[in-house]
Amino acid sequence: MTDVLTLDGVSAGYGPFHALFDVSLAVAPGEAVALLGANGVGKTTVARVASGLVAPERGQVRVEGADLTGAAPHRFVRAGVAHATEGRSVFASLNVEENLRLSFRRALGARGVAGALDQAFEQFPALARRRAQLAGDLSGGEQRMLSMARVLVEAPKLLIADELSLGLAPIIVDEIYAQLERLRAEGTALLIVEQHVSHALALCDRVLLLEHGTIIWEGPPADAADRVVARIFEHGEAG
Amino acid sequence: MVLAASFVEDLVRGTLQGLPPGAVYGLIAIGFVLAYKTSGVFNLAFGAQAYVSAALYFQARNEWGWSNLAAFVLAVVVVAPAIGLVLERLIFRHLPPGSSLAKLVIAIGLSVALPNLFELIVGFEPVAGRTPEGLLPNGAGVFYDPLGLYSFSRDELTALVVAVLGAAALAALFRFTAIGLQMRAVVESPRMTELNGIRADRVSAFSWALSSFFAGLAGVLIAPRFNTLSAPDFFNLVVVAIAAAAIGKLVSLPRALAGGLGLGVAIAIIDTFLPRIVERQQWLEPIQENVTPAVPFIVLFALVTLWPELRSSKEQTDPLAGVDPPPPTPAALTRSPWLTRITIVFAVCFFLVAGLVVFLRADASWLFVVTQAVILSTIYLSITVLTGFAGQISLCQGAFAAIGGFTVFQLADRFGMSVLVGAVVGACIAAAVSALLALPLVRLGRVWVAIATLAFAAFFDAVVVKLPFVGGGGTSLLQGTRVPRPVIGPWDLADDKAFLVLAVLVFAVAAYVVSAVKTGTVGRTLAALRGSEVASRSIGISPTRARVTAFAISGFLAGLGGAMLSIQQKNVNYASNFAPFAALFWLVLVVSLGARTVEGAAYAGASFSLMDRIIFQGTFIGWILRSEDRIPGVFPLSPKWRFVLFGLTTIAFAKHPEGLVENGKRNAHVRMAKLSARRDAHREPSADDAVPGEAVA
Amino acid sequence: MTAVLEARGVTKTFAGITALSSVSLEVQPGERVGLIGPNGAGKTTFFNCLLGVLAPDRGTVLLEGDDVSDLPVHVRSRRGIGRTFQRIELFGESTVREHLLIAERVRRGDGSLWRDLLGRGRPRADELEACDEVLELLGLARLADEPIEHLSLGQGRLVEVGRALMTRPKLLLLDEPSSGLDRRETADLAATLRTVQDEQGFAILLVEHDVELVSSFTERSYVLDFGSLIAEGPTHEVLASAAVREAYLGPEVDAP
Repeated sequence: MTDVLTLDGVSAGYGPFHALFDVSLAVAPGEAVALLGANGVGKTTVARVASGLVAPERGQVRVEGADLTGAAPHRFVRAGVAHATEGRSVFASLNVEENLRLSFRRALGARGVAGALDQAFEQFPALARRRAQLAGDLSGGEQRMLSMARVLVEAPKLLIADELSLGLAPIIVDEIYAQLERLRAEGTALLIVEQHVSHALALCDRVLLLEHGTIIWEGPPADAADRVVARIFEHGEAG
Repeated sequence: MVLAASFVEDLVRGTLQGLPPGAVYGLIAIGFVLAYKTSGVFNLAFGAQAYVSAALYFQARNEWGWSNLAAFVLAVVVVAPAIGLVLERLIFRHLPPGSSLAKLVIAIGLSVALPNLFELIVGFEPVAGRTPEGLLPNGAGVFYDPLGLYSFSRDELTALVVAVLGAAALAALFRFTAIGLQMRAVVESPRMTELNGIRADRVSAFSWALSSFFAGLAGVLIAPRFNTLSAPDFFNLVVVAIAAAAIGKLVSLPRALAGGLGLGVAIAIIDTFLPRIVERQQWLEPIQENVTPAVPFIVLFALVTLWPELRSSKEQTDPLAGVDPPPPTPAALTRSPWLTRITIVFAVCFFLVAGLVVFLRADASWLFVVTQAVILSTIYLSITVLTGFAGQISLCQGAFAAIGGFTVFQLADRFGMSVLVGAVVGACIAAAVSALLALPLVRLGRVWVAIATLAFAAFFDAVVVKLPFVGGGGTSLLQGTRVPRPVIGPWDLADDKAFLVLAVLVFAVAAYVVSAVKTGTVGRTLAALRGSEVASRSIGISPTRARVTAFAISGFLAGLGGAMLSIQQKNVNYASNFAPFAALFWLVLVVSLGARTVEGAAYAGASFSLMDRIIFQGTFIGWILRSEDRIPGVFPLSPKWRFVLFGLTTIAFAKHPEGLVENGKRNAHVRMAKLSARRDAHREPSADDAVPGEAVA
Repeated sequence: MTAVLEARGVTKTFAGITALSSVSLEVQPGERVGLIGPNGAGKTTFFNCLLGVLAPDRGTVLLEGDDVSDLPVHVRSRRGIGRTFQRIELFGESTVREHLLIAERVRRGDGSLWRDLLGRGRPRADELEACDEVLELLGLARLADEPIEHLSLGQGRLVEVGRALMTRPKLLLLDEPSSGLDRRETADLAATLRTVQDEQGFAILLVEHDVELVSSFTERSYVLDFGSLIAEGPTHEVLASAAVREAYLGPEVDAP
């Protein structure tokens, strides 16, 4: 079976600033992969390369075998890759409903929008109460739910979730991970970028550990916990 | 009761009277907001775009004999959106998000370049007294008077109806349609829109086409208000419209229209009632005529400086901005000192020889343009300090220069004071005005400083110039604002050669001031602030003090230069020298050529007054070919090319804010360095060529 | 002994969301104190309240016992707060030495337009000497005439430190100095800072998420999470506490 996402020898950066060096990884259909590492090691850049936001300087990006290296992000989306970006990933100047309409309209056509909206508000009653409020005025947790709601209605082949738990209260993190679990049950592959490791480890099949723009370790989550803790807290030698 | 009834009647009449001009402001305000909302560009070129469509409509209809409809289709439906598409594709698409200052500078360049380019291509010449006609036949001749209080012409009604319908249609577009939603999304974050599977570049092209279409529509509709089509009038109208748009916080279309109508009505009502108050309060008389033209500019200035929400309303930053690589840093300043010295020696020699030739050989008209170049360079140094050193865009340098000119005129005219003393006094007054103006501006972002100074320039133009103690009032209309030439001891500077020497001396003093400031505490403080305001404050720099100082120096230099220019021309000649639109071109020139150095200002001065004489008329080619007969047939070129050329050069500002001259020198230096490196490498391969500190993750 | 810096009950809300709730902290002269917490815990907000970039809703900030809560940023820095930036903030298009020179001139406070016009605005010999001393101390002497654009991130961060040192601070605030640096560069930076601090005796407040740097560099630490202090005390004890581990790693992981 073709991998849903393949990064092949990717180097990438921002102008003179190099963030990734020769990174190769693959995500199989329905698989959940966690990408872990301390701050500033290039995790977010991997996510951006995988969704077309950053074009690699070297190497290849394939989605279901099709070469999308250097293509604009909308082509990744149309190929089935969804990316919930780090930080604010909703349009602050649009209200909640408009945020949803924007993506539903493209994905489902004019007729599908109303049904999808109902479905989304049913899943997230908290958003229904705020449907006319500007997304910029929502709390961090609500914004994260909004960006999840955009993804959930039409399950993508791959969801890239970048630091979904950042700055959120534990109970909201639990809720968001419950949604990820549901998506996964529906067959969506997940690439989870995290600084908080516990949830990611519980959900994933496989863990990649990133340091200084390179993948330094790969293995099952059971073996990963100690290494990650060592990396972040004691800086003991791993791998 | 009778009194009350007539009061109400006057009020209603005033309101009706204010609606047609209000509709014009509203139309442009809507278009301006549309552009701002969908592309994030503070589009000062909106007036230029409107002008192009209005003039094209006029040309097609009156010169080429097309029908109204055909001319409308050409000017508004085809050409206007096409201009928008071209601008988006060639210029604005390539600018990184968040470069709002660069976009503003480019828009300023375009408002100079576009009208001239159009006039050159189509062969259009504004002819006085040929009033443009509206869309409907006999628009100025048919009247409607629904209430028996005020008759609307058919043209006025058309503009009013289109403005209301346009605002409603656009508001509906944004609220209810998919493309409307996408346009709003793209302006906040093109990348996040892409992540929703939408092609952001198509959406933004559509935005530009739409807002340009609206510019064209507004242009054709408002043209009948003018006696003659001219680009500066359209530009001034945009400044009024920005005030209306600011009332709508720059994002709300209905409120922009309401703001426009409100301004129109307010002005009409003040015009109705103010004379009655003045009848009883005689002391108000001098300001009576000047209050109403000032209203929009005072409103704009007040909104920009006093209403923080206005400034923050659109500061919604792109959360994915971090995806873009950091702006390329200018290729460093490793110019070796000896190269700098050689450049200076070369420049001094060149100017000495050129000066000598001019001094000995030139006729009166050459002397005039050379002197003008020197004086303009002095004025341009004011832009060097403010824009080059402090990084602030001021659009009111023309007003500061005019203050210098008018001071000389007033002091000489009323008190017979020496014009040289007058020039110094004028420069001091300009410095004081400039510093005062800076006080409310120092906390604003750079784009807002530009808008506030534009409001001040328009205010100065509409009101202050007309005051008797400034521009001379009624008498100057008959006699002009004459200024005598000075006499210093045995030297009578009525002689143009002697005056050229004085102009050079003044420029030399100004150049010394600017370079002393640049290397001194003030210049280095400003450079720090320009580099990073937070970091500057963290080492104890007070931004307020530094910026007020910069404004004061700049005002002084502009005032001094303005005074010299008036003395040279023996007249202030406000409209042709210092009007806001004329002064826009100054900024364009200096920014294009180099705002950071004295040389840049000198080149700008030379370009302004000599380029036409030397290059466009073919003189230079003639010298080279050693024969006037062999000058190619394309010469003489129109002087309008100057505006097109430098207007379009501002596009480079996004990449090279230091200007063409500096950039050229830098490139030359890099090439020389490479060349000598290659030579060294030939001689002996060296291991010690590591570039210090390539930034590594 | 009066604390160099004391914050009392600093509270700040944004649009109804509490970013800081009643945070108090103090730094004694010559001390090295850490302020840590996961991303989004409110560290930057607190930092900005100390500096005067943000005005807290409630609470006061005292510098050597004086209430500076109402003073603007540049006055606080003249009173003795120096700082560095997380996203490096240097003055473009100037050299390393020029960064220090302008700070020195501002500290002396004797520059003016009139002096510039008399041709006395250029850097003076004693100013250059003072700058070179600091450059030497930081190991930047070799780069003094390099344009800032040629420097690596780590060198740039040292220039920020040097610029701050020219103001002769009583307290140096370091805002995530390790961000963007690799481990070796971070260690070098820490070593240099320690040397300089021993020489000049100012206090340091280090805001960091890199636990390693905090544990090796500071004596005492405060931990912020969701806008509140969840722990304070000697750094090693603080880092070993369960609450802190949980804040960083999430609740369910068993510490090895």
